[in-house]
Amino acid sequence: MQRFIAKRALQSLLAIWVMSLIVFTLVRVTGNPLDVMLPLEAGPEDYARVSKHWGLDQPVYVQYAIFLGKAVQGDFGNSWKWHGHSAMGLVWQRLPATLQLAGFALLVSVVIALPVGVLSAVMKGTVWDTVAKVIALLGQSLPAFWLGIVLMWIFAVNLGWFPTSGRGGIQYMILPAITLGWFQVAAIMRLVRSSMLEVLDSEFVKLSRIKGLAEWKVVWKHCLRNAAIAPLTFFAIIAGVLMTGSVVTESVFSWPGTGLLVVDAVRARDFQVVQAVVIVFAGIFILTNLLVDILYAYLDPRIRYQ
Amino acid sequence: MATVTARTLPWYAPPRVAHAWRRVKRYPVVSLSILTFVLVIPAVFAQYVAPYDPLKGSLAKRLRPPAWQQGGSIEHPLGTDKLGRDILSRMIHGARVSLMVSMVAIFVGGTLGTALGLTSGYFGGRVDSLLMRLVDISLSLPTILLALVLVAAVGPSFSTVIIVLVVLLWARYARLVRGETLAIKERDFIARARVAGASHVRIMTRYIFPNVVNSLLVLATLQVGYVILLESALSFLGAGLPRPTPAWGLMIADGRELIVTAWWVSMFPGLAIMLTVLSLNLLGDWLRDHLDPKLRHV
Amino acid sequence: MRRSLMLIVLGLLLALAITLETAPAQDAKTQKLVFASAGFDESNRFWVISRPDHLQYDPFLETLLEVDPKTGEYTPRLAEKWSNSPDFKQWTFQLRKGVQFHNGFGPFTAKDVVHSHALMMRPEATATLAGFWRQVDKVEAVNDYQVVFHFKRPTTIMPYAASRAGDLRIVSKAQWDKEGQEGFEKRPAGTGSYRYVGRQPGLSISFERVDNHWNKERPAFKELVFRLAREESTRLALLLSGEAHVADLPRELQKDALKKGMKIFSSSFPVDWMTVYLGGQYYLPNDPAFKPDVAWTKKPVRQALNMAINRKELLNTVFAGKGTMTYVTGWSEKSEGYNVEWQSRFDRMYGYDPTKAKALLKEAGYGPGQLKFKILAFTEPGESEGPQVAEALGIYYKEIGVETEIEVLDWAKVREMFRKKVIQCCIWPNIISWRPSEEWIRTSYHSKSPNHHYENEFIDKQYDLLTKSVNPAERQKIARAIGDHLFEEFADIPLFWFANEVVANPKVIGEWVYPGLAAGRSTHFNLIKPAK
Repeated sequence: MQRFIAKRALQSLLAIWVMSLIVFTLVRVTGNPLDVMLPLEAGPEDYARVSKHWGLDQPVYVQYAIFLGKAVQGDFGNSWKWHGHSAMGLVWQRLPATLQLAGFALLVSVVIALPVGVLSAVMKGTVWDTVAKVIALLGQSLPAFWLGIVLMWIFAVNLGWFPTSGRGGIQYMILPAITLGWFQVAAIMRLVRSSMLEVLDSEFVKLSRIKGLAEWKVVWKHCLRNAAIAPLTFFAIIAGVLMTGSVVTESVFSWPGTGLLVVDAVRARDFQVVQAVVIVFAGIFILTNLLVDILYAYLDPRIRYQ
Repeated sequence: MATVTARTLPWYAPPRVAHAWRRVKRYPVVSLSILTFVLVIPAVFAQYVAPYDPLKGSLAKRLRPPAWQQGGSIEHPLGTDKLGRDILSRMIHGARVSLMVSMVAIFVGGTLGTALGLTSGYFGGRVDSLLMRLVDISLSLPTILLALVLVAAVGPSFSTVIIVLVVLLWARYARLVRGETLAIKERDFIARARVAGASHVRIMTRYIFPNVVNSLLVLATLQVGYVILLESALSFLGAGLPRPTPAWGLMIADGRELIVTAWWVSMFPGLAIMLTVLSLNLLGDWLRDHLDPKLRHV
Repeated sequence: MRRSLMLIVLGLLLALAITLETAPAQDAKTQKLVFASAGFDESNRFWVISRPDHLQYDPFLETLLEVDPKTGEYTPRLAEKWSNSPDFKQWTFQLRKGVQFHNGFGPFTAKDVVHSHALMMRPEATATLAGFWRQVDKVEAVNDYQVVFHFKRPTTIMPYAASRAGDLRIVSKAQWDKEGQEGFEKRPAGTGSYRYVGRQPGLSISFERVDNHWNKERPAFKELVFRLAREESTRLALLLSGEAHVADLPRELQKDALKKGMKIFSSSFPVDWMTVYLGGQYYLPNDPAFKPDVAWTKKPVRQALNMAINRKELLNTVFAGKGTMTYVTGWSEKSEGYNVEWQSRFDRMYGYDPTKAKALLKEAGYGPGQLKFKILAFTEPGESEGPQVAEALGIYYKEIGVETEIEVLDWAKVREMFRKKVIQCCIWPNIISWRPSEEWIRTSYHSKSPNHHYENEFIDKQYDLLTKSVNPAERQKIARAIGDHLFEEFADIPLFWFANEVVANPKVIGEWVYPGLAAGRSTHFNLIKPAK
């Protein structure tokens, strides 16, 4: 077991290192950050001065060595756009907003998907099934930014039920969460539906029915509870999708999370921040995968020896 | 649970029309017809169906509303955009662009993923563990962010979009095919082929591949819609297809701020995407149920 | 069974409805003014922030001189008087007495000016005029209320640089000494009629009114908030939903807002111009970057590209008619060397005439379909028209038989191309804000300039004369000569001047006069008069 963990941990570290190399190279191909930082007035001497200040005059491999040396200690340097902040500090500052939105979106999608999934399983083959499917699939069929803008115009501007954008109380979260969460509804609903179908078909449900239990009790108590054990990995993947999907949603609703941060950082050629965000995100996903693997290995000894 | 239906009652014959309808109902008719009319016909016959050149406009005719609205005319049934280009024509040509982008991206990504998945599953061992790590990395990449960076680096173009999409897509095929390959390679007919002296390549292409085609078809169908949506998200972030390509995603992204006064600019391409992707998803679901029940969890 | 399911669904809907109810009602009485902005680089370090982004300092950090909102003249502010030595190398400022910094950091004196300038000299400084301030040899505090700026060479644009249009923001030395940079980052003390309250990064920055401003400025709104929303439709939504009272919107969306009863407040002066630049005009002898096969190195081609454009139509459509003609790129009526004759000659030389354009092209050896090039476009937050203009140009050029291809890049990419002189392939529309003529020529046309828009020996020579001249009449003549030259040569494709325009709710804002020339564009929040 320990050997397995050690091996997988090493692999994960390697993956994160590969990521760092990819981002580091990729951002440097995007051009000279000084072309964004400096005003039109700036002459060659200004370019030289600022480039020296940020260490951009060094050869790339030296820059990478410095970057790696510091990154290992969790220091991704200072931001070039948000002066006075470290890149890592910015990520930590914005991450809670993104996690909050992603969490709430997941909640929204589960809240929609559960009844819809149950409905479609219980009424399999009827019109209700089709309606449920269409509701779920609709979320997967709309461009998120378009949905976001339409929702904003209907519910915030015309009806005035919610604020249009920004971050605050729970009312600020609803529209962005629906925009972000609806996309996942179909996937979760499918899971609920198929598990429900399986359980509904199982012996003990038939037995309960024969015993004369009320139908809703059968559905609600026995089936749903047994069907609700969703695989851990599935949620890990969904969480990942939500995190990247938040780039679009955050832009539409001016939600001050990491998605908005990274869009601004790319535009401003703030390499430090782009590197920090990408590596932190990749790190989170890779570590989640590692954790899931270990958990599975713990639960299912066969995996360890594969 | 025994149910009594028309079929179990031998003496009852349903009327002909109902019978025919039931047969038709087994296929996703609505989805298929929507796809035919919104996606396939416009895409294939764009230059014959479209009333105007999708790139040619005139500022004098900009932002004309659709025909049934006040100020609209039958000349431009769905109105014109900010630069006076005919929206209907742009949408018709947009169908072609969308179809082409998704076909190319899925073909390249699918081929790559399938090849790697087959190799990985068939040979196992080190190759497998290396490739699967790669898949893990690829699935865990914050790809949209990388797409943004990539586009900033090389500029938006058809090939950039395809590259981004392929990077996004291949891993799913690899994972799917590998899983299936693992199961199939234990089966008797593979062992028999091996005994008969078939080479590895032959076994993979002639014996294993045909058995994963169904799953691939389902995944590919479902992903056409996904790709169309991704393309629009990329356009929104300024990393999509280059202007003035008549692409649905780009059209919505361009008209998004006019949603109050000139709603038609973004609404029609939005509806086109919605109908197409919804139909594709329903079709994919149907295919999944009929071709490959194993895939339910994908 | 079905009934039970319906119950479940109903219950969930009810739960959702309850959450909806908790949305708070709008505050009816407006004590707080919210401005929805496309965004700026958020930082308190004014020395790294470009002029348009000085919006965030305008309410609370003041400058030595003011820009008069109606006349655009430079008037006293933190400095009561100023003068220059005959050789324009020394500028002396007499400072105002009795000005207090916020949060109890004491009176404003000469050492604060020295300190603020020192910040501007830091190695990371990237403010618009950071290069200009490095021309200062020494800032001498003669006494507490007199400072002298010693320049290395004659400098005429000092009033501009030291004014609200420039970027030398006066901050407290006392605070820096006491709290260091950290304290400054957290809550910088200024002298304005608003005081800095705080930021929510990525979301907003807020200020509150100061009660005892030295100039008795008393803003009508107690609180002022700048909300950041990059999406244009989101800013419009903020405005229409009442969450914001003023918004910065592209000209096209202003129409929408007007229909919904909003009002536009324009700056007193034009602020930005739009010009289409033609890449590769490096006419100094032996410049290796000069490529003679670039079509627009021939003058008739440049004229043809100008005449193909229906400026009036373009202005009326893409910009909703809001703007005036630019005759020579960078010169407004306020600029040194402006020539009134340009206007009368413009139509004949530059006016819309596709037939003549075609003939000119033919004369230069380009028949229909023989000239092909790229149009580069980019967008900056708040300037969304670039790609549209590029597409419109494409349509106009198609009419005269020129094939174009549009490439949307971002600003950094385009800038790198013209800075490195590898943009011979392309033309690109750009929106640039007003600068004094000398500063603009140095930035754009002088061969040592970083931008290489159009350079030749004539301009270099005239520019050298201009920098050495301190006689106003002579300077006018030289600046005009350069402008005339650009005009005659069709150096680029000048399009329009734009005033700064913001859209506001007339139920909240009654009157707002601001120059537009001040750094930050939508400035002078203290002058806003509320609606009755």
